[in-house]
Amino acid sequence: MTQTLLEVQDLRTVFATKDGNVKAVDGVSFHLDAGETLGIVGESGCGKSVTAMSIMGLQRPGRIVGGKVLFKGNDLTKASEAEMREVRGQQIAMIFQDPMTSLNPVFRAGWQVAEPLRLHRGVDFVKALAGAVAMLGRVGIPSPAERAKNYPHQFSGGMRQRAMIAMGLTTTPQVLIADEPTTALDVTIQAQILDLLRTVNREFGTATILITHNLGVVAGMCERVMVMYAGKVVESGPTVDVFAHPKHPYTWSLLRSIPRLDAERHEPLKPIEGLPPNLIDLPPGCAFQPRCPFRIERCSRDTPALNRVGETQLAACWVTQAGTELKDA
Amino acid sequence: MIDPGHAVERELPSPAFEGESRRPAQSYWNESWERLRSNRIGIVCGSLILVLALIAIAAPLFTQFLTHYEPFRLDLDNTFQPPGHPHLLGTDELGRDTLTRLIYGGRVTLGVALLTVALSLTLGTTVGLAAGFYGRWIDDLLMRFVDVVLAFPAIFLFILMAILFRPTPITLAAIIASVGWGGVARLVRGEVLSVKQRDFILATQSIGARDGRLIVRHLLPNVLPVLIVAASLGVGQIILIEAALDFLGLGIQPPTASWGNMLTNSQSYFFHSVWLVYFPGITIFVTVLAANLFGNAVRDAFDPRLK
Repeated sequence: MTQTLLEVQDLRTVFATKDGNVKAVDGVSFHLDAGETLGIVGESGCGKSVTAMSIMGLQRPGRIVGGKVLFKGNDLTKASEAEMREVRGQQIAMIFQDPMTSLNPVFRAGWQVAEPLRLHRGVDFVKALAGAVAMLGRVGIPSPAERAKNYPHQFSGGMRQRAMIAMGLTTTPQVLIADEPTTALDVTIQAQILDLLRTVNREFGTATILITHNLGVVAGMCERVMVMYAGKVVESGPTVDVFAHPKHPYTWSLLRSIPRLDAERHEPLKPIEGLPPNLIDLPPGCAFQPRCPFRIERCSRDTPALNRVGETQLAACWVTQAGTELKDA
Repeated sequence: MIDPGHAVERELPSPAFEGESRRPAQSYWNESWERLRSNRIGIVCGSLILVLALIAIAAPLFTQFLTHYEPFRLDLDNTFQPPGHPHLLGTDELGRDTLTRLIYGGRVTLGVALLTVALSLTLGTTVGLAAGFYGRWIDDLLMRFVDVVLAFPAIFLFILMAILFRPTPITLAAIIASVGWGGVARLVRGEVLSVKQRDFILATQSIGARDGRLIVRHLLPNVLPVLIVAASLGVGQIILIEAALDFLGLGIQPPTASWGNMLTNSQSYFFHSVWLVYFPGITIFVTVLAANLFGNAVRDAFDPRLK
């Protein structure tokens, strides 16, 4: 029996701009079980990162205007700043897209990796540094005691990302949120970092939320996947099923827009026409409807809810909810 | 070990890697210091300032063993002595030894400059950090106040203050700093705005650090380079302002010697005893030039934007 660690219910985060409120996260619900790996995919600006930041309470200048983030039963959106600081880095750790800028250039790497221990465990610097060195070794940094004395600019991109992961793991958090952890790295290093994240998940039992726009990464890493579009979850389910039988036209289109090894020869890639909608005033109905090859008349009228489609998946689509299979025209 | 297989594989010593890891840790500060050291003009000027400062600190020693005079001692039998023996740089209209007064004046002038820099950096940095980090209305409020300070005609403030308070080195430093901190605040705020965008600030928040820690431990060290540059370039400017105020009679009042008021004093005797103008003038000129050149060298070495 797996235990639900994190449950997000109908989360809404808006950013006030002079043109109106941007609904970056618009009613997102999902859950994360202890020890599992959840992928969140979607194109740029669809609310993946804002969802993660809202969980951490770091959504500023955005505002959470609705919903709950239940972490082990406590609603984090109602937690005080002091309570949030205890959660951050202690219970939920986060790693970022660009390892080049996510370490402070003026401090030695070991000092920074040790910082969560000093903040949360109240241990002295020497002990914290010893812990940091041990953790740097565990994430695969050679001669960690030497390397801890280095400054970030002496680290390669991959090593910096390892150091970030080490920093997140020093306090053995239960959830690790990785926001595009490999996007800024070259392909061979990507594979190593993903490998490391997998090992971390297995050895430490850390539940991982992996945010990415790379479907290949999700396929290799995640048990479950959640597809976001225009601030909403449009499809979720076990990765295998979602990839084999997508139940939302957006997922379907995404899968056809990337190259795959088992494709027919000379089969051209099919990009998704058009652009994501403006999140300030979404048209009524399904947000993907203007770009959707399967749209029916109802799609521009009513907004579909995320409902069960098929055995294991949830999808927000009138077409598939009505039982239609998504196939090439 | 998380994964013995991989860890062993990764720890296999590859020659290139070993070599790299044996390089000594070069911090930003080490590198900047190396760059500064290799700038000959900068080092000469910096040393000159240092020597002047040491002379000023050790003024009583110097005057006792070198000039054998005290700054206020009148000697009406020996007024307007030209440079020579026993008065190395001559005497003024009251028979006071010029070199002695220059050394004591250096105490005042350099002390005021140092204190002014310290005050305006402290205030400017605090305001700039707060405005840049918190943004929104705090930023608006603080920065509009800075605009007001910068728009204020400084000379009127100096005159007013000279009337209200009898200028001592400390009040003078406070007055000059009260108009000087605005520029520092702007500089720091701008730098904070740029540093704040970088992920490590978010990363530090994400490990649960307080704002105070974030500002002091993470933001401040990253704006320190611009502060060092601002401080070293500011010294020369402040010495000039101080000298100008003294010259106008708005600064240090006689009989306390300062380079500026020695100049004022001597202007009446320009055709009569020109060395009285030369020596304080040259001292100010050389000090300001050295301070500015040193400031430039520090900027070349420390300013992260010039790399």
